[in-house]
Amino acid sequence: MSENKKNTSSEKDTKKDAEKNTARPEPVISIAASDRENTEIDIPVKSKKLRRERRKKTLNAIALSNIILVGTVLAGGFAYMTMLPHETKADDENRMLTKFPKFTAKTYANGQFTEGIADFFDDTVHNRADIKEFIADNLMPLKGRKYGNGDDGAELYGSGFEKKKALSVTTTSKPEIIVTTETTAVQATTEPATEEPAPAEGELTNNILIVNKRGITLYGGGWGTEYEYASYLNEYKEKLGNVNVYSMVLPTSSSFYLPDNYKDLAHSEKEDFDNINGALQNVMSVDAYSALNAHKDEAIYSRTDHHWQPLGAYYAAQIFALTAGVPFADLSEYETVTLPGYVGTLYMYTQSATLLNNPEDFVYYKPKTPVTVTQYDTRFQNPVVANLLFDPSGMPNSGYYMVFGSDERIVHVNTECKNGRTLVIFKDSYGNALLPMLTSSFENIYLCDIRYFELNAIDFIRDVGATDLLFSMCSFSAVGVNRNSIYNNLIR
Amino acid sequence: MVFSRLFFIYIFLPLCLLCYAVARGTKAKNTVLIIFSLVFYAWGEPVYIFLMLITAVVNYTAGLLIGKYQGQKGDTAATVSAVVYDLLMLGVFKYSGFIVENINALFSSSIPVPNIRLPIGISFYTFQTISYIIDCHWEKVKPQKSFKNFLLFLTLFPQLVAGPIVRYSTIEKEIEERTITLSDVSYGLNRVALGLGKKVLLANQLSIIADSFLGNIGSSTMLGAWYGVIAYGLQIYFDFSGYSDIAIGLGRVFGFHFDENFKHPFICKDITEFWQRWHISLSTFFRDYVLYIPIFGKRRKYGGLFLVWLCTGIWHGASWNFIIWGLYYGIFIFIEMKIGKKNMKKIPVVIRHIYSKFVIFVGFGIFYFEKLDKLGTFFKTAFGFGKNGFIAVQDKISLMNNMYLVIVAVICCFPIISSIKKVSDKHFVTKATVTSAAAIASALILIVTSVMLVDATTNPFLYFRF
Repeated sequence: MSENKKNTSSEKDTKKDAEKNTARPEPVISIAASDRENTEIDIPVKSKKLRRERRKKTLNAIALSNIILVGTVLAGGFAYMTMLPHETKADDENRMLTKFPKFTAKTYANGQFTEGIADFFDDTVHNRADIKEFIADNLMPLKGRKYGNGDDGAELYGSGFEKKKALSVTTTSKPEIIVTTETTAVQATTEPATEEPAPAEGELTNNILIVNKRGITLYGGGWGTEYEYASYLNEYKEKLGNVNVYSMVLPTSSSFYLPDNYKDLAHSEKEDFDNINGALQNVMSVDAYSALNAHKDEAIYSRTDHHWQPLGAYYAAQIFALTAGVPFADLSEYETVTLPGYVGTLYMYTQSATLLNNPEDFVYYKPKTPVTVTQYDTRFQNPVVANLLFDPSGMPNSGYYMVFGSDERIVHVNTECKNGRTLVIFKDSYGNALLPMLTSSFENIYLCDIRYFELNAIDFIRDVGATDLLFSMCSFSAVGVNRNSIYNNLIR
Repeated sequence: MVFSRLFFIYIFLPLCLLCYAVARGTKAKNTVLIIFSLVFYAWGEPVYIFLMLITAVVNYTAGLLIGKYQGQKGDTAATVSAVVYDLLMLGVFKYSGFIVENINALFSSSIPVPNIRLPIGISFYTFQTISYIIDCHWEKVKPQKSFKNFLLFLTLFPQLVAGPIVRYSTIEKEIEERTITLSDVSYGLNRVALGLGKKVLLANQLSIIADSFLGNIGSSTMLGAWYGVIAYGLQIYFDFSGYSDIAIGLGRVFGFHFDENFKHPFICKDITEFWQRWHISLSTFFRDYVLYIPIFGKRRKYGGLFLVWLCTGIWHGASWNFIIWGLYYGIFIFIEMKIGKKNMKKIPVVIRHIYSKFVIFVGFGIFYFEKLDKLGTFFKTAFGFGKNGFIAVQDKISLMNNMYLVIVAVICCFPIISSIKKVSDKHFVTKATVTSAAAIASALILIVTSVMLVDATTNPFLYFRF
């Protein structure tokens, strides 16, 4: 019946199909067709007829079981998705999960309401984190094998330049912060960020190599943008005159932990740093690369996170203090805190079982000398008293942002070092870890994130009476889209 | 709404199936289907749903008029008006931006480029209405008298947003009367599971390879370019044919028998055969409604051919690369016609396979790169004139990391399921065993797919935030 129906559309169709697929019936039709055959062909022999009927019954029973089986999966899924509690937070991704959308005429008309409902159900599946671990541990390894042997085995992750909607990772701040400060800045951080602009071709690969149980963000090279970075800093120096301006571009793990046979995967950060240093005019360059390179055998970079470890920040801060001619406190003057079992952002990017199953220690240092910390929003308004570091103990997830707080704020630290020096730091998230390390070096420190700063940078620097200005961001930020913020803050 | 998301599989679909099962009689079942189809469409297009409803009214009315004035002037007038309306809608909503951009480029004019968002599924449902109108005009089908039934034909959600382009003639009788057997339902459910598996387990994973090698073509090696474009071709195949599987499967669950849309296209031996196996509902549409338009006079054989391939290209998207892509296939089919079927068969099979796969995957390269400069880089890289050499360590790592995925994907291009069925159907015991195994396999695929979909909302944001 169905075959006839199929072909009524066009006679030519039938002929051609007959020519092309002579003997091979589609699997589709064969069950139904054979069923019908059984009903239609009438064989007089009784036993044969009985057998046929029995067979038909068996096939129908199988079909019914099939329907029940798949139906049970569907019904089970329905119950799972509607009756079990929805998750609200993804600790492994550091983000709040999608909330049920609010109905308005506008959100309905543009489809955000209906799609929002579907997103809500898809995003908040009960036990989401466990299911994701199951995928990372058991399903993703089925795709293939690691390249190389054993511990050296390499996995490569990345998706070229495809533009996708980015959700905010950086941000689920410690709940206590929200309670104590109630600033809009911190609140704002839990909202999904808008789409990130795609970097120009050739800038960054955004690929991650996992090798020796370490995730490495592969540096793609500036290909000229490093000169733009340098020229922006030169403009700051020109406008600021007496203020000391420093550039400390921070290398990433790409410089130190890429085995020789994978060196081709990344561009040399050192080369771009040299280009920058050659182009700086009256801006003092701070050689963090050499300082870190000397200690690369220590845990100065996270294996599972795209940031460095606070120990790396200590060595960078040391060389900066030396360059700036300010005192610097030895590590022994800090209290060491170790957070075991840390699995950072690179697991989130890659969902690699290798990282998940090889957590590391996150070690940070608390200054013993007291400091006064005031936190402002990104327009330098609404001051609130804050802590220099947050206590992540008792939190389900620990790590970089949990200790150092979010980026969307300006932090002022007043120290007991009464040397009259005031430092403004323009930084990306790498710079957060520098702050505690400089609390014995400057009387006042203003920590500002280059991306979220909303004032004219020159006015701000003059208003706070800065004697020193430090640009400290990692290579990806300095040559990538974040470099534009340096310029935008200048002309705002 | 798309099929490959948990909300569809576990909330929308179970509710729909439940209501459908509870409804008694074809009319009640049709009502259930129309309601769910409209909800399905409105979920993503709360405003443009009215455009679809207007299109439904226009074409339904035109159908009635064609029936009323059969063979008279009114018939032709109604046919022409409806087809013009349909093409106009498609032109305005899909191509106006592209047309204006090109006019501006050509005449250095500065007509503001209209920023019209493409309504979901318009390319598919417009072709359905056109085929309905022309079939009515050609008296191949009787115009549908009931608006409700016509609406069901047009909006039936399994095929509404991504095909196959189901012709009215295919489901004409089933709209009014259909029987649903147990084997139909079990077959349909299994087909849905298979389609979801193809999309989620294969296509989505292959897309990661394609994007990292083609998306980054400037730093790909020669091997990387080929690896990327093969992964991309496989991705598109499993994505699109998976979607067709779901559509056909859901149709079957509801008692409809849609035509096959893909018949293992990569086993073809030449390009003509490829298009008899790839997106069949589209190529037969063009063959039946465009190829024989008598605008080319005596040269219509070849004129029509290139018109069809131009249309095929444009249909895929308002961009020059799609036009090039369509004409590219037109050229190879033209060459194959010139060589002739008999002569083609004289060429050794191995060579025909290599030739056809080469043409097809280069074609996917054209399909991928909407920016022509990137397409140029792709060609340079793929044919050994790139700046990154033949092979690099990233190729080796990715090939190793995705080894099993690629092997399984290639194997799945062959007609394995139908071959197993063909053998097993010969004996009752093997048939019963294979049918039972299929049930278990479907449930497993569905579960694994669902587990993988939990990860789909993870936004692996591609740009590190420092």
